[in-house]
Formats: sequence, structure tokens, C-alpha cells
Amino acid sequence: MTAATVPTKRAAAQTPLRRALRSFLEQRTARVGLAIFAVLLVAALGADVFASYGPTEVLIGKEQGADRLAAPCINLFGCTGPQHLFGLDGNVRDVFSRVLHGARVSLQVGILTVGFAIVLGTLLGSIAGFVGGWLDTLIMRVMDVLLAFPSLLLAIAIVTVIGPGLINAQIAIGIVAIPIYARVMRASVLSLRDREFVSASRALGASEAAILFRKVLPNALTPIIVQGTLGIAGAILDVAALSFLGLGAQPPLAEWGSMIGGDRNLLFSAPHVVLFPGIAITLTVLAFNLIGDGLRDALDPRLQR
Amino acid sequence: MTTYILRRLLISLPVIFGILVAVFTITRILPGDPCRAMLGEKATEAACAAFNVRYGFDQPIPVQFLRYLGQVATGDLGESIRFGIPVTELLIERLPPTVELALASLGIATFFGIRLGVAAATRRNSKRDVGTMIFANLGVSIPVFVLGLLLAYLFAIVLKGTPIALPSAGRYSPGTIPDEIAVVWGLGGLGGPIRVLLDFVSNMAIPNAILTLRPDLLIDALAHLILPAVALATIPMAVIARITRSSLLDVLGSDYVRTARAKGLTERQVVGTHALRNALLPVVTVIGLSLGGLLSGAVLTETIFNFAGVGRTISEAITARDYVVVQGFTVVVSVGYVLVNLLTDISYAYLDPRVRMDS
Repeated sequence: MTAATVPTKRAAAQTPLRRALRSFLEQRTARVGLAIFAVLLVAALGADVFASYGPTEVLIGKEQGADRLAAPCINLFGCTGPQHLFGLDGNVRDVFSRVLHGARVSLQVGILTVGFAIVLGTLLGSIAGFVGGWLDTLIMRVMDVLLAFPSLLLAIAIVTVIGPGLINAQIAIGIVAIPIYARVMRASVLSLRDREFVSASRALGASEAAILFRKVLPNALTPIIVQGTLGIAGAILDVAALSFLGLGAQPPLAEWGSMIGGDRNLLFSAPHVVLFPGIAITLTVLAFNLIGDGLRDALDPRLQR
Repeated sequence: MTTYILRRLLISLPVIFGILVAVFTITRILPGDPCRAMLGEKATEAACAAFNVRYGFDQPIPVQFLRYLGQVATGDLGESIRFGIPVTELLIERLPPTVELALASLGIATFFGIRLGVAAATRRNSKRDVGTMIFANLGVSIPVFVLGLLLAYLFAIVLKGTPIALPSAGRYSPGTIPDEIAVVWGLGGLGGPIRVLLDFVSNMAIPNAILTLRPDLLIDALAHLILPAVALATIPMAVIARITRSSLLDVLGSDYVRTARAKGLTERQVVGTHALRNALLPVVTVIGLSLGGLLSGAVLTETIFNFAGVGRTISEAITARDYVVVQGFTVVVSVGYVLVNLLTDISYAYLDPRVRMDS
């Protein structure tokens, strides 16, 4: 009995998934990305525990000596007042608490926006690739037009039509990102459509929908996952940019882009109001970029060393 | 080559038509009534009716669209509702600063990006390589608006009073009014396309200072351009450095490079004249593609550095419901972007014959 299980275990150790995982973890940059992501996740999930103040709590009148735009006060470095690691903002709120809660907003923004784009993009790309003909031409030409606009300009235009707000900013950035996934998906479908295993299922009587969802989609997933991870980085940047311009998250929500946009004119007297949310965005985007690059190197068989 | 160019041009036409349809649709479904936005309390029924007739808003939508197509075909982009001047006139004023900013950024990004990439690839896994790649990864991750604000703080506040302090707003020092090139050259009475071209160049600060022989203005304009250009250049510079590095590493491993080394060429000759030429092909594509990002970034950079360019004009016009300006500017910028991508593809096909053969 033991003799029978040993070979299966060995086989399991060499599944493509495990090999990809090992190749992913072998990369130093990917590990750094994963580490930053872990910190972010802890910050986002534990924001209520780690933050000493509420994200929208105005400290004026509640705390003695709480001044507008007060510089960071860190007990460890000898500051004796109430501790504000990142200082206070223009509305006398604790910047550290807001940055922590902002992690929650930004992670959710990145994942939901890209999820929205992936669902619509893969759907359109699959239809274009699988059905072909005039429908293919129509869908892909519309995608070309979407790609012909500088992305932020198109997103600004869409937000103006549907109104400013965090959800609408996410929809706008999501729409702008659809063509990327549609193209990736269509290319995968085209390369898989006439393969033998697909013809075999068709000969066995599988419906077109079953072939699409059971055979083609799982095989096209790799490039979508890689694009999607890199896309999360882009979506976080773009939604932050819209919020910075006042078209995304609205005050008093603790969103990094709108924190910077709201206090932008106070920069010259209190740089910490821009610096800390700025570092937070940069690290978050960096983490997803590094993870995305690592996944691409690990999942692309052509890049295997 | 000619067939390739013609075919690419034909493919671009439906995209340009699509842009016109999309922009027209978006501006027509924008919420809010332009009449109320413009006339405010004076927006009576009668005043609005006259307003709508004047700007053609009383016609059915398809008629408006056909009329719009006819106008665009003849180079008429309508009249700004807010400023009361033709959109083309506004473009001649607002487009040059953005073109200048984008070109300066692209220049900085290309020059330093390729150098960094080569430096990293020729010493693979050295400290220099690792350092460059850390910089490149940070460069694509930092938002333009954060970098812009931090640069402004560093150079305008922290370094204030030192020789390397730089201004953080506007295109010239307050009170400076540059002369028009046409006027300085004694061509003030000139009209027509040549005058338009002269005015366009005249609104770019650096060519203006050179062509009107004003070294003081040149220094002032350069000082104002550096910070926004560097902020905008960071992302494309990082991307170009990464692509150059990976592409050069690929090429350095190929047989002909080994042959070149075997012939006894110096490393400098091998990299500079043999490897780099082939390695730069993908870099050309990336430089072309960066332009869309530059235009997006220009909206943010222009907002931060108080630059009266295209990006800021569009975002202000959207707030003011100046449909005509939004429409005209977006069309010109997007069509320009399509044309630049077309040029990139053509230059790519020119540099690499395989591209022509494949498609």
C-alpha cells in the first residue's frame, strides 16, 4: 500500500501548478512583492485594531494640543505628546489611521475594478474569437476605438457622464481596461479553437458553450491571470488619480488619492499629508507589479530556464 | 513598404471614425444642460431656445452628428461655449504647451532610459543592474501626481534660496509676457496657414525664446519646464530602461554577437554598433506606446504645475459643460494618438523587414 502511494506523491510534486509556484517563489523580486502584499493585507484587515483613531475622526476638541497639520509625533523618537506616527491632516485627523483604512479601500478598488474588466473582457473576447465573422470585427473594432483614447482622458469623460464617486470611477477605469482582456482572451481562443482536444469534444457532442467554458477558458487563464495582476496595479493608480482630481472617492472617505488631492495645497506647509499616502500607493502598486512580473516569468513556459 | 503603409492607413480610418462617434455620443449624453450651465440665472425659456438654435442643439441627434462630421472634415471644430472663440484658436493656444511638455518628457525618458537599460544589461546581476531595476520598478509604481508634488516641494521649498531651486508653477515667472514670433519678425499682418504655424510654435516657450532671441526667457522657460517634464518622464523612462535591458540581454546571447566578440572587437563596439541596433527595435514600439500614458499623465502634471495645456483645458471644460471644447480637444488628441501609433508601426516595419512580411 505504501509502495502504491509513493509514486502518486512524486507525481503530485511535479504538477505544472507546483512547478510554477516553486519557480515563482524562487524569484527574489516576487518574494518582495508578496511580502509587501502581506503587510498590506494585514493593514487592511486589521485597520480597526492597529489604528488608534477612526479614519474620519476629527481630533479637534477631543485631544489636547491636536493642531491642524501637526507634524508626525513618534514617542520612540522622543515626542512626548499623543502619538501620531504620520502626523495630522488639514482637518485634524490622524493620517496614520487614514492610511491604514485606505489600504482596505485600495485593495478592494484594485481587485473589483480588474474583476469587472476581466469578466466583461473575457466574455467579449471569447465571443469574438469563438463566433468570428462580423461579430468578431464589430467587437474588436470597438475595442480598438477604446484603446485609441489616452486612458485617463476616456475615464474622465466616462465619469463625467455617470457622475463622480468611487464606484463610478471604478466602473470607468474598468471599462477602459476591457480591451486588454478582450484581446488576450480572443488571441487565446483563436489559438485553441482548432486544436485537437477541442475538435474531440465537439465530435463527442459537447455544446459550444460547454466547449468554451470547460475546454477553452481554463486553457486561456494563464495570460489573463498575469495581465490581471499587473492590471490591479494600474487600476489602483488610475482610480487614485481620478480621486486626486476629485472625480473618484469623495471626502471624508479615507482613500489615498483623495487624501492627497484634498490636502494638495497644504503641501508646502505640511509635506507629510502628501508623503505618507503617496508612499502607501507606491508600495501597493509596486507589490502588484512585482507579483505580476513574477507570475509571468513562472507561468510562461517559454521563459523557463 | 508602400502597400504596408497604405494598408495600415486604411485600418486607421474606421478607428478615427469610431473616435468621432464615441466622442460625439459621450458629449451628448453628458448630464446637465449646456444652456443652464452657461447662462446661469439668465437661462429663461426664450434665452435657452435662442442658445440652442445658435449651437444647433435644437436639431435631431443624427442631424447634429452629420453636421458635426461635415464641420470636422472642413477643419471647423466649432466655437467654445465658454470663451466664445473658435476651438481651433483655443487649440493653437493650449496644444503647444502640452506638445512641448510631452516632447521634453519623451526626450528625457528616451535618453536616460536607454542609458540605464544598457548600463544594467552589460553588467548583469551587478549592483548597478540591481539598482537600476529597483529604480525602474519604483518608477512605474509611483503615481505621477505624488512624484510631481514631492518634486515641487523639494525644489521650490526645501531648496529655496539655493542655486538649484526651481519654480513649481506656471510656464514663466509671473508678469512675463513672451512676444509673438510673427510680430518680432515683422510679419504681424500675415494671415493664413503660415501665421497659424508661427503662432503654434510661438506658444511653445522654448522655441519661442530661441526664435525671438531672448536668452532670459529661454532660461526662465527651461527652469519652469524641468520639474513637470521630469515628473512626467519617470514612468516611460522606467519602462524604456526595463525593455532596453531585457531586449539587450536577449541579443547579447545570440550567435552573431558571439562572432563579433570572437573577431576581437572591443566590448564597446560589440554593444554599441552590433547589439544595440537590434535591441532597440522593441524600444521604438514602447516609446510610441508611452505617448498615450504621457497624455494621460499630462492631465495630472498640468493640474499640479498650473500649466495651461490640453489636459487641464479638457478637465476644466468638462466641469464647465463646454461640450464643443471637450469634443474638439478629445478628437484632436485621440486622432493624434492614433497617428503617432501609426508612425510607430511604420517605423518599426521600416527598421525590421520581418514585420512587413508577416502581416
